[in-house]
This record gives sequence, C-alpha cells and structure tokens, in this order.
Amino acid sequence: MELGRARATGAAIRARAGRSRYLLGAVCVAICTVMLLPLVMSVLASLKPTAEAAASPPTYLPHALSMDSYERLWTYQQGLPTYLANSLGTALLTIAFTLVLTVPAAYALARFPIPGKEVIFVFLLLALIVPYQALLTPMFLMFARIGLTNTLVGLAILHTAIQLPFSLYIMRNSLSAVPRELEEAAVTDGASSWQVLLRVCIPSTKPAIVTVALFAFIMSWNEFLGALVLMSRGSSFTLPLILAAARTETSLGGTDWGMLQAGITISIIPCVLVYLLLQRHYVAGLMSGAVK
Amino acid sequence: MYRSRRSQLIGIAYLAPALVFVLAFTAYPLVQMVWMSFHNWSLITPAKYVGLDNYRRAFADDQFWVSFAFTLKYTAIITPVLIVGGYLLALLTSETSRLRRITRTTVFIPVVIGLGVSSLLWYWLFSADFGLVNKALADLGLISKPVLWLGVDAGRSNLAITASVVWKVIGFGMILFVGAIQAIPREITEASLVDGAGYRQRVTRVILPLTLRTVLLVTLVSVIGSLLAFDQFYIMTAGQPQNETATSVFYVYLNSFPYLKLGYGAALSMILALTILVFTVVQLLLTRRSHA
Amino acid sequence: MRSRLRWPVMLAAATLMLAACSQGTDEPPSTAAQAPAATTSCASNGELTMWERSGGNKQMVDLLVAAWNEKNPNCKIKLTYIPHTEMVGKIAQGIASGEVPDLMGMDLIYAPQFEKAQQLVDLTDRIGTWPELKTASKGHMTVATFENRLYGVPLYADVSALFYNKDLFKRAGLDPDKPPTSLAELRAYADKITALGGDTKGYYLPGNCAGCNIFTVGPLMWASGAKIEAAGPGDEPLVGDGVKQVLQFTREMVEAGNVPEGARSENGETFHLQFGSGKVGMMGTGNFNITLARQQNPKMDFGIALLPGMTPNSSASFIGGDLVVVPKGSQRVDDAVNVMKFLLSDEVQVEVYAKALNLTTRTDMVDNKYFQAEPLVQDVAKALDVGRTPYTLTFFEQINSPQGPWLKMLQRAYYSDDNLDTVITDAKAAMKSIANE
Repeated sequence: MELGRARATGAAIRARAGRSRYLLGAVCVAICTVMLLPLVMSVLASLKPTAEAAASPPTYLPHALSMDSYERLWTYQQGLPTYLANSLGTALLTIAFTLVLTVPAAYALARFPIPGKEVIFVFLLLALIVPYQALLTPMFLMFARIGLTNTLVGLAILHTAIQLPFSLYIMRNSLSAVPRELEEAAVTDGASSWQVLLRVCIPSTKPAIVTVALFAFIMSWNEFLGALVLMSRGSSFTLPLILAAARTETSLGGTDWGMLQAGITISIIPCVLVYLLLQRHYVAGLMSGAVK
Repeated sequence: MYRSRRSQLIGIAYLAPALVFVLAFTAYPLVQMVWMSFHNWSLITPAKYVGLDNYRRAFADDQFWVSFAFTLKYTAIITPVLIVGGYLLALLTSETSRLRRITRTTVFIPVVIGLGVSSLLWYWLFSADFGLVNKALADLGLISKPVLWLGVDAGRSNLAITASVVWKVIGFGMILFVGAIQAIPREITEASLVDGAGYRQRVTRVILPLTLRTVLLVTLVSVIGSLLAFDQFYIMTAGQPQNETATSVFYVYLNSFPYLKLGYGAALSMILALTILVFTVVQLLLTRRSHA
Repeated sequence: MRSRLRWPVMLAAATLMLAACSQGTDEPPSTAAQAPAATTSCASNGELTMWERSGGNKQMVDLLVAAWNEKNPNCKIKLTYIPHTEMVGKIAQGIASGEVPDLMGMDLIYAPQFEKAQQLVDLTDRIGTWPELKTASKGHMTVATFENRLYGVPLYADVSALFYNKDLFKRAGLDPDKPPTSLAELRAYADKITALGGDTKGYYLPGNCAGCNIFTVGPLMWASGAKIEAAGPGDEPLVGDGVKQVLQFTREMVEAGNVPEGARSENGETFHLQFGSGKVGMMGTGNFNITLARQQNPKMDFGIALLPGMTPNSSASFIGGDLVVVPKGSQRVDDAVNVMKFLLSDEVQVEVYAKALNLTTRTDMVDNKYFQAEPLVQDVAKALDVGRTPYTLTFFEQINSPQGPWLKMLQRAYYSDDNLDTVITDAKAAMKSIANE
C-alpha cells in the first residue's frame, strides 16, 4: 500500500519533469555525437586520396573516396596481414594466459583457507604501482637468455604480466560473489573442487570472464613499447609499431597522414566490434566486479 | 567451505601458477630493477656500483622535479574532471530508457580503443596545419591563425592532452558509477521520493553516500593511472616544449632508452613507485573509514 | 677543426680503454689473415638481417637493398626499419642480449658512442686499404673512425645548403642568380621578400626540431668560425663569437616577422615540405629537398647556394646521413664487408645513388651523366667540400634530443627576450655536464 502511494507520487514527479526529459534527451544526443565524431572523421579521412589526405588546411569530408591509404598500409614492408596476424596472435595468447592464471588463482583466494592470502593478494597486485616501462629492459634481457625475444609467446607473457593484477582483482571479486549455496550443493553431490570450479563458479562468473578477456585483448592489441623492445625482426612487428612508423613514413621523416588514418581505423575496428557484440556480458561484469 | 589441511594444499595448487608467473615475470625483474638503481649502467658498458648516488642525483635533478610537478598538475586537473564528469554521466544514463542505454554504450566506445591509437587520433585533430580542430575553429570565426596546441606551450599542450584523455576514459568511470547507482535498492530511492525529496537532494543525500565507496575506488585507480601516464605524452608532445610536458614515467623512459642511463631510470622508477604506494595506502585507509 | 677535436677524444678514449680492458670481449683486431678478399657478391648463403632507422632517406636505402638483392639472390638482405627515436636504445639492447642484426645502417652521428664502447666490429684490416675510401665523404669517414681504427663506410649522404625561391626573388626585385653570401645579405633579402605580403615569408626556422636546426643553423655558426659540440669529457662547447652572432641574427629574423608563425611548432615531421610550398623565400634544408620540391611544386623555379656565415663568402654545411656498420656479435661479417664494397662500387654510385639524384658517397663520382643533366644537384654537391660532421660521444643528449640544451638554447634565442649571454652560458654548462658524464 505504501509502495503504491510512493509509485503514484513518483509518477507525478515524472510527469512534471516531462520537459526536462526532452532537454536531457538532447544532451544525450550531443554527448553521443562528441564521442563518435572523432572516430567517424578518422575513418572518413582514411578514405581520402593521398593528395587530399596530406592537404593543409584539411577537408572535413573526402571529396573523393579512395583506397590509396589502405593499399599503402597493406603493402607496407612485410605487409599488413603479417602485422595483423602478429597482433591477433599475441592478443589471443594473452587472453588465454590471463584466464588460465587468474581464474584458478581467484578461486583459491576467494574460497580456500590459504595462510596469508590477503598478503599474497596484495603481492600479486604489485605490478599496478610500478611503471612497467622500467621493467622492460630486465625482462628483455631475461627473455633473450631463454629465447623468447621476437616471439608472440614472449610478448604475450609480457602483456599478461602487465594485465594480471587488474584481471585478478576483477575475477576474485566476482568469484567471491558467487552464492555459496550453489557450490555447497555441488559438493554434497560429490563434486571435487575442480568440478565445482568448472561447473558452478565459471558459468556464474561469465560476465567477469568476458570483461577480463576483453580488457586483455584491448591492452595487448594496442601495446607499443614492449613490442618495440621485444621485437627486432620486421616480420614479428605488431600493428602499433607500424602506426608509429607511419608518423615518420614519407621520405625523410614526414607523417603519412592517410596511412596513419588507415592504421587507426584498422586498429579500432576489432576492439569496437568485439565490445559491441559482447556488450551485455562485459558491462555487467564491470559493474558487478568493481562495486565491492 | 573447505577447512581441512588438504583443502589448504589444493588452494595453494590453484594459486601456484599465478604466483610462480608473477615471481618470475614481475618480482624478479623488479628485484633486478632495484639492483640496477644502485648502479650506473648503459647496457653497452659494464655496470658500476654507485650506492645511493642515483637517488641523491634525482633529488638534485631539476628535470626530475619539473616532471614530478607536471605529473601532479596533470593529475590534479584531470581527476576531478573524470570523477565529476563520469558521475554526472552516470546519473544521466543510469535510467533504463533506450536512449540512455545507447548513450551509455556510446560513451564507452572510446574506452575500448587503445590509448596509443586515441593519442594518435587526437594528435592529428590538434595538428596546427593538418588537424580538424583548428579548421573548425577557423571556420567558426573563432581564430584567425592556427593555434599551436601541442609542443609549444606546456599549459596548452596539457589542456589538449587532458581533453583527449577525458574523451577516452570518462566512460570507464561512468560504467562503474552506473553499476554502483543501480545497485542501490529501489526501496531506498522510492522512500526518499515519498519523503518529497527533490532530485538534487536525492543525489546528495541518498545516491552519493551509498556510492561513495565506488567513487573513492575509481578516484584511486584514476589517480594511479594519471601518475603513471606515459603513452599520451610520448605520442602527442614527446615531452615538448623543453621537457616541460615530460611526465615522470616519460623521464624514466628517456633515461632507460635513448639516454642509456638505466641505473638512473631504475632509481626514478623506485621513487615513483614508492610515492604511489604511499598515496594508495592513504586512499585505502580513507576508503575503509567511509565503509564503516 | 677535426684535429682539434681528436686530441681530447683520444685522451678520453685512452683512459676509458684502460678501464675497459678487463672486459675481455674484444676481438683481436687483425683477422685479415683469415678474412677473404671482399667482393660485391655473397660470401656465404642465407639471408642477411639488417636494421635501419626510420625517418631517414628510406627511398635511397630501399633502392640500395633492392639492387643488392637483385645481384645476390642467395644472400638477400632482410631489412627492418626501427623507429629512429628508439634506435640507440634498441642497438644497445641488441648488443647486450647478443641479438644483433648482421649489419646495420645507423645515423652517423651516433657512431662514435658505440665505437668507444667497443660494440662495433673493427674493420680496419679488412677495408683500410680500399682505394674507394680515399674519396669517400669525409664527414662520414671521420665519425666512422675511432682512435685510428675504422668501423664503417657511408650508406648515404645528406648535406645542407641554402635553397632559394627564384620566383620570389624576381618579384622582390632581387637578382635570381645572386643568392646571399653573408648573413647580413640574407637578412636584407628576407626583409624584401616578406614585404611582398600575404603569407609569403623570407626565411624559415624550425622551432621544435633539434636535428633540423643542427642541420641548417649549425652551419651558420660554423661558417662564422664557431664551434658547437663538446667532443668528450673536458671539452668546451659553444666556443666563438659566431654562436652569439648567429643567435642574434635568428632572433632578429623572427622579430622582423620573416619567419612563418607555424614554424614554431615544426618538429621535423613536415620540415621537408616547407620549401616546396612556394611561400618561403630562402631556407636551409638538404639535398633531398630537390626532388621533393619538384614533386610538390613543379613550376617553382629555385636555386641552391651554400649556407653563409657572418663574413661575406664564408660558408659551411652539415654532412649527415647514415653509415653502414657491423655490430659486435654479427655472424656474417664477411658478407657485411661485401655489402660495403658493393655500395662503394662505381656502378652502384652512378646507377643507384646518382640516378636517384641522391649524393654519391664518393666525391670522385660527382661527375656523372645524371648529375650533368641536373645543375641543382651539382650545386648542392659543392656543399660537400665545405661540409663537416660533428664528432662527439653524446650527440643525442647534447644536440639531437628534443629535450636537450641545443634546442632549448635556440628556442630561447628565437622566441624569448632572455639575455643571449645567459642563454649561451646556460647551454654551455648543460652540454659540458652531459659530455662529462
């Protein structure tokens, strides 16, 4: 009854706010425009013919559509397919390593009576406060000794190391929130801890897993300095290195704007696509994982 | 749930891979970095022990303080914008209408592209002769000659870079706030409506206090990220003019790579990491108090 | 000039050599007995890995590699471009980890640093007696030498000169065949061209690019008798009245409005496009700008003169470009040396370098059919005769770094009112402390 009255009052308030609703709606549209406009302009700029792309002052919309910039990017040195394959391979490996390491670790930290586990947890989050740029040289020398330089596996390990604290944090929070009744039910049915993990915990934390995977992908796909240090053969370069090259690409160090735009567009597309497709899981994962 | 000694061991088994990984690929390089900080080493000449010399030098180094001050200034400006802006966006988009949801999705899109790519994109937009910002300002009649956004004036460069980073990451805070806001039980908000609370009162007396923990957490993450900022400065200004926009991590990078002063770079990283550690501890204590 | 630098360098190097003696990784210098005579073909089969910095004369390097690969399909060069700002760090990492390419192109001014650290292979006994080297670019050969030992040969050469827009000269009432021969004349001419109005300016000074400035403003100081870099520990940088005179000259140029406003943010990325825009009357730039300007602005009539100093008919030039060197740990030294022989061979000098209208790295090859058809290239080749390359072990930090004292000094001169004596003293102190480390 009280609730009914509350709802009626609420409705009255909402009706009065009708006009401001339109205003807020307009604000939303404006915000969306500001967010999307730079991306759209970049994609359009990548379709300009070379001369127009290098024009000063620039044009907003292309006067003619051309794939010049993409052609240059496609055939750049070892070829775009090579770089895309390297970036993709590294990103997928990073996702795999991250999940394989953090899911069981988070499970252990959330559910098992390990002595000193709070301390261990903080220890594992260590990497968050150190600038990883300074760790690159020692890691590079270590990798050189064990033969991991110029390999996608090596780069993926580097990326996983950077990404691990954040991923672990999300996974542990998410696993802590899994209702114990589900697990206890499985245990009474005779399931081992491994089976509990696989059949109960992981399905319940799918949003968090998707979140971790997506962030690992984005981080690895876009990472530049580590790739530069670790890779010394052009055939192992990743996409961000090529984008850096586009900045000094025209003869004697000028910026090839068209190729830069094409590179930006190609870098953006997978990230945005994956995000839009997995949106529901992902957003829920972030929202639940971090509130704790 | 699992209390036996056996379960302790099982827990450790689940934790072990991540632990070993972090020990090998984060802790060990970190120890090496500490070792490096007590030596002068250029990679191509043997390392020379210098004790605390590098640390002493840092405190006497003008550039160290310039970078530190600039990093603090950058952090102090961008953090309130991100938190307040993100929170306002969250309030705007936490309702469940279609438009709000679309806005939420759109604002998050820049988050999923890489920081490097975003910096390149804005490097283009802010380019004095080739970028669209100056073109738009000129077309609107607001400027008569191109504004030199990047690399000429530290304040203006900071403004431009801040704008680009806000565009990119504000969605992240927004989503976390939305999660926190939506986690507030309906009864509480409805109850405040019954009490005749206006919107502003609802926000300040009900929503904000109940989401304070998330706000403090997001602030912590944002501040750490800003103190460790590198990519955007590397790409957009390269520390120009005269190293005034060289953040602390950028200065670490300069010493570790082109200058080949790895020991000094390591010492700088240690100082930075300790600073962040102190700040983190303070912030976490504050958070713990607000939760009680 | 060069001999004045040699002594302090050698003293410093000798001291360091004594200290580094314990390193024990030095190759015995004479392997000539075991090394085969150099040819321009493969010494052994299999791919050769080569690094080169980006942001250089990519076109030229690609042509040279293609020429080698065509002749020697059994030992093709696999070229990787490294972002130039990261090159020094990457080479150091490579050497420290043993993961080095078989040979590499490197910006010549960084060579002394690596030679001093004994990280390049000593090639004296293999190439020291080559006749081609007698006429090879002296700027390159200076920096390729350390303590009388030889470590590399030129890969390509850039040289700086004064380009001037003959169309604008005519419009301003100046004789298009009489370029300025002193800084005073340069100023007078610039004033006249700027007076033409619009966005036409008489001169250009890149405001945010250390390398562009050492390339085009450094020679103005050299031509005025000054010395710029500190070669090694204890050496004095920025010596001579020429330093202050040139800074005064540039400051007044900017104040008189002879330089486009956008030049202030020029960080090198669009430097080579400025002259071709047709809006700049005179500009220090490099030989590479000939073809570029023609592509950009085919109808523009322009000429090339030497960069002048304070006194009439004084001139100087910066010899830049890349060297080919062999990093320590390379497994294919014989092949690398053969590549060097190839680059210096008559045929390659004419049919690859000269044909592409790039400078030949041997001064005795300047007289060839391609250059004869191109008077501008012959003009710019004259700069090789008055050219020099700075010799210092800390070039990047002192001069080429965007955050270094050289650029800072110039920016203060160009854009502030700071007392020039203070500006120079500050820069001197900074450069000296870098050289002393």
